Amino acid sequence: MSTDRDFVSVDDHVQEPPDLWTSRLSWSRFGDRVPHLERDADGAERWVVDGRPLLGGKVAAAGALMPDRNREPRCWEEVPAAAYTPGERLKAMDAAGISHSVLFPTVAGMAGEAFGRLDDPELETACVRAYNDWLLEEWASASPRFIPQCIVPIWPPEAAAAEMQRAVAKGHRGIAFPALPMHLRDVPHVSDPEYDPVWSACEEMGVPVSLHAGASTELLYPAFSGLAPALSEAVDAVTRPMSSVYVLSLLSFSRVLLRHPRLRLVFAESALSWAMLYMEWADHQFEHDGLAREGYELKPSEMFQRQCYLTAWFDEIAPFVGYLGEDHILWSTNLPLTTSTWPRTRETVERCFRGVTDGTREKILRSNAAGLYGIEPAAQ
Amino acid sequence: MEIKFGLISADSHCGFDRDAFTSRMSAARWGERIPQVREVEEDGRKVDRWCVYGKPRGDNVGNCPALMGDPFPTYPQHWDEVPALGYDPAERLKALDADGIDAEVLFPNPPGGTFYECGDPTFELDVVRAYNDSLAEWTTVSDRYYPVSIIPYLSDPPTIRREIERATEAGHRGINLQGETPGELPHLTDPYWDPVWDACQSLDVPVHFHGSCGLSAGRSTRFWSGYSPRQGHSAMTATSATTPAQIIPHLVFSGITERFPRLKFVFAEAGIGGLNYVLAACDHEWETRHLWTEGLSTRPSEAVRRQMFTNFWFENEGIKLRHDIGIDNLMWESDFPHVTAFYPRSWEAVEDVLQGVSAEDRRKLLYENAVRVYRMDAVLSVAERGAEPAEARA
Repeated sequence: MSTDRDFVSVDDHVQEPPDLWTSRLSWSRFGDRVPHLERDADGAERWVVDGRPLLGGKVAAAGALMPDRNREPRCWEEVPAAAYTPGERLKAMDAAGISHSVLFPTVAGMAGEAFGRLDDPELETACVRAYNDWLLEEWASASPRFIPQCIVPIWPPEAAAAEMQRAVAKGHRGIAFPALPMHLRDVPHVSDPEYDPVWSACEEMGVPVSLHAGASTELLYPAFSGLAPALSEAVDAVTRPMSSVYVLSLLSFSRVLLRHPRLRLVFAESALSWAMLYMEWADHQFEHDGLAREGYELKPSEMFQRQCYLTAWFDEIAPFVGYLGEDHILWSTNLPLTTSTWPRTRETVERCFRGVTDGTREKILRSNAAGLYGIEPAAQ
Repeated sequence: MEIKFGLISADSHCGFDRDAFTSRMSAARWGERIPQVREVEEDGRKVDRWCVYGKPRGDNVGNCPALMGDPFPTYPQHWDEVPALGYDPAERLKALDADGIDAEVLFPNPPGGTFYECGDPTFELDVVRAYNDSLAEWTTVSDRYYPVSIIPYLSDPPTIRREIERATEAGHRGINLQGETPGELPHLTDPYWDPVWDACQSLDVPVHFHGSCGLSAGRSTRFWSGYSPRQGHSAMTATSATTPAQIIPHLVFSGITERFPRLKFVFAEAGIGGLNYVLAACDHEWETRHLWTEGLSTRPSEAVRRQMFTNFWFENEGIKLRHDIGIDNLMWESDFPHVTAFYPRSWEAVEDVLQGVSAEDRRKLLYENAVRVYRMDAVLSVAERGAEPAEARA
């Protein structure tokens, strides 16, 4: 039951079950290249596709639901049901005040990037389609509180556009896109005109594109290998949102946002408190480098204000909302990742929204997301 | 040092005279590998370039657009175009007086300070010493200069430590590091580097990370074949906003701030918002993951406010958060003579960015914090400026 204290989380993750791909892809065609779990001699399980590890060789990412948050499941039996069962997930959402949850994958990559690394576009597309169909059949059909987002094959653009159009026609409400596909395999730079058909398709369908942090290892600064896992993951959790700065900078200065004025970009797991500085700096640099003379009709902060959204989950809102704009901030829980505020999300919301007006709070917690994802106010 | 204007730049760049290295290194031993200005051919035209280890570096011979006039920004292509005040410490004092700056913390201009790139440890050690000696000489010309030394990365840690001690003795007030250690060297937070942290803590000189400080994270997004040079420069520079957020979590969660609680870190030319993000994000992860059970007894924001400092110059919005970040952790910088500098109108920029800021906060931001962080021997003669209009300045 949703209450007026509840909120839309625009960034949560589903855990794909072991039979998702093995039951949907042709074994005779792909054999054991299909994503599946393998068990090591010591009993630990890990995901494998085409002979390569998925999800960093883990079985799941569900720290927030585990008895000890610093210990991820080692095998499927240890994965908490709320990670992969819609019914159990709804209970977890109720416990934390989440009315609706916009869904990202886990095994397929936090940003849907994993299959883009495959060398075989045929296998890539088959894996992507299976995920997109499964999410609608198993999650979206279970409750209108789940907002499904499709993943896409990264190349060629016709294939990406076709799969997005197919998935959106079937019920997907957003697109999870790995922001820098050229980091996944040898495809053109995302700012090159070759990618314009992908952005144009998104504009025409009117669905938002989510660029989740962490899709490109090139944007990350890995921790010292001698650190304990909990410390190493804490380093990753703080550095990972910086991906959003690089991506926002690239898509602004390389004019993707200018060429596609109706494109709406959600920076999932972006955090918030860096953004004011970055945008002030981008504008300052824009001015000192004389870029107004180089044919930009908007400066970087104006491109952001027209087309972009940041997602907060632990950030105080009041210091930043005036500059960034109440229409461009969304709320999230990152369930079930360890960095999630679950199960104490309500307390976090109260702390983070201190000093924020009711109207602004309503926008950030509910109506901005409702507008983006077409969530009906009555949907419970 | 006299503080008569009430403004210290915690990040400026000083050039090297063309004989700075040839006069300090053995020609017999290193010959043309010594850093020097040479005429080279580039795209069919003859230009001057700083050459290191025999190879030309960069696309100019002096990074000083603030001194070059119109069209802005212009980068000199021939040595005789480089104004003397770009590399001559005595000449430069006139620019400081004209701009109303009492003192500067000095980072390099071409040929820069990344001599490990040559891959020759013996050469690197020699050139690092020459670099540090050359900049230390600035302190003998005026007590208004506070240079920051570089380290011989390819030497063993005891040698590095001795160079830090030697450079500090000669007048340097800190070391300048790369965000990621170069090449195959151990990770920034590997205990291998403990002698460096220990030396800087013992000597009470800050460790600096400047701009994007060579971080490879995100580098690919700063370059795109479709960018003009100025667009690429904007994309590169603005993403330096990420530097504190990329580096501080490593320093805090690896326990370096626990083991070296008096060691200071300065993030030069990285803006102030990155620190703001780091405070919130590191505390969130520390709480979420119960990291006190992993030996980190200090709340990250406490360690950051105790040990980390960052600079500002244009952040009208960011400066409003000065108390959330830490009023004792922020220092003004000019970035003179780079493209982003406001020279010769630094005070106009100061008054613009500090609108509505109290006299007490102004003092901290404009010079008191820098005096403390760099242990400057300062004598105050500046009148209380408070919120006086800029024309009251002498």
